[in-house]
Amino acid sequence: MPERQLRVNRRTLIKAAGATSAVLGLSGLGLSGYRAGKAPDSYTGCEGSQGAAQDFDRKRFAVDTPPYEKVGPTSRADGRTEVIFSRVGVARSAAEKGAKIEDLDEPFKSYYAQHPEDFEFDKQNRELRRKVREDSEENRNRYILAEAWAGAMGAVSPRSIGNDPPEVSDFPRQGSREPFKMKSPAATAKLIKKVSYEFGTVLVGITKLNPDWVYQYPSSRRGFATDEPIEVPKHWKYAIVVGTPMSWDPMYANPTYGTSNDAYSKSRIVAFRLASFIKRLGYAARPHTPGNSYDLMVPPIMVDAGLGEQGRHSVVITPELGCNFRPAVVTTNLPMATDKPIAFGVQEFCKTCKICAEQCPSGAICKGDKEVVRGYRRYRLHSSKCFNFWNSTHGSMGCRVCIAVCPYTRKSNWVHKTALQVTANDPTGLSHKMLTGMQKRFYPGPEPSDYYAATLGGKNASYREPPWWLKTEDFIAL
Amino acid sequence: MSFFEGGLFWFTEGVLACLAIIALRTWTQDKGIRMPFWKWPVVCTWVLFLGVSIAYVGTSLGEGERHAAFLGAVCAAVIASVSGVVVWRLLRL
Repeated sequence: MPERQLRVNRRTLIKAAGATSAVLGLSGLGLSGYRAGKAPDSYTGCEGSQGAAQDFDRKRFAVDTPPYEKVGPTSRADGRTEVIFSRVGVARSAAEKGAKIEDLDEPFKSYYAQHPEDFEFDKQNRELRRKVREDSEENRNRYILAEAWAGAMGAVSPRSIGNDPPEVSDFPRQGSREPFKMKSPAATAKLIKKVSYEFGTVLVGITKLNPDWVYQYPSSRRGFATDEPIEVPKHWKYAIVVGTPMSWDPMYANPTYGTSNDAYSKSRIVAFRLASFIKRLGYAARPHTPGNSYDLMVPPIMVDAGLGEQGRHSVVITPELGCNFRPAVVTTNLPMATDKPIAFGVQEFCKTCKICAEQCPSGAICKGDKEVVRGYRRYRLHSSKCFNFWNSTHGSMGCRVCIAVCPYTRKSNWVHKTALQVTANDPTGLSHKMLTGMQKRFYPGPEPSDYYAATLGGKNASYREPPWWLKTEDFIAL
Repeated sequence: MSFFEGGLFWFTEGVLACLAIIALRTWTQDKGIRMPFWKWPVVCTWVLFLGVSIAYVGTSLGEGERHAAFLGAVCAAVIASVSGVVVWRLLRL
């Protein structure tokens, strides 16, 4: 009898275990199938349009006030002089004519009188470009494919918005459409984000526009008189920020093999499509896009929209892409629910990291503390030094070394996602020091001076090797 | 999607882990090593560290970061060796 009872118990146990396994196994198959059917990466070829890459849990790091410090009376940036691209031509002409600061017209005379160092730097860049071209034919030819690729990436771009004032150009054509009544700001925000992904963006955020970020004087005409202050249009109530990444492998091979054109082009297209979409709903919309078709400063708007925090190198650091992205903004009066800014540890991290400042070939990124700029505390970037380096290297123009070396600018794999979560959730800052130390030892870059062209004392170095498809010597018989 | 990104990969990993645990149990019985409950987490942690280290080296190589892979391998080898001796002594208790 005891033997029989034992046999029955064992059989019962085996049967129960088998049934449980079958239920669990079938449930697992069902769950796995559900995930396979729903997963964004199942949209073959269209993964990017599903918003799958914007996967950081921002709600956990949402803050009521943006992670920058307002310390006094604020002023707006002068787009004519504080944007390097707007002023550099004046300094170049002065260099050719042998003119001095006092010979310049306003506002450049006043700006350079206050920043004489910038005048000296800005006069040099044409000469630097000439010296780069004196490099050996072998060195110059190495970048044929990189330059062709950068040029091709910039070949397609939406037409400009023209030179009508915002009160005309931002609105649908006269009498074409009354604004549709939207059901709710929350639903509109959801819709705008979804169509932004469909238009090709990877990141999108919405904020109310802070007028402090609008240029006091325009950096390009776009319907504004260059000698009159911009009165912020009343219909610029909201700002939608979009961002797309630069191709990862060439980006790591900066400054010589990378380009901004790929992300510039994609973000421009997204912003123009978005503006067109909003106008077709009867509301006003104006795209502010690279390169230099802006009436405002983009990084602080990105911070307000909860896409990231501004780093030591002045570029916004996002949880998903680090700083490997190029943004565009659409200003509009379409009522939408806004996003909250986020604080995920970047301010603390940048205090100790300083890798971008140490690797910056031009020394444009400060290694010290934040300074007060126009009423806000931030790290100062010396744009004249930065732009001079753009002219001191081969390739497609530009640098982007600070973007490539930033520890946050890493591809989406478990190693870097884990590091991001550790830094974001560590209130002590101990992990920041440890991970910065690891970054410096495990992922070192060349000597900063090596990034310069050989004719300027450098070695034509790039942060990482170029991808195989940009190695000219492997494809073109020279 | 490649095999290594799919569920089948993790299923296979799970089967292999089960087989390894059964083998470890048999081996310790043959060796006369007692395996009270606290020894299992110790061994699992060590094996997990080894697995993560190997995965880090592989990921770094996949990213083209040979220097990071090499340094990671060296550091992991040193830590795994030292901790391996400690774990072995604990198992013999």
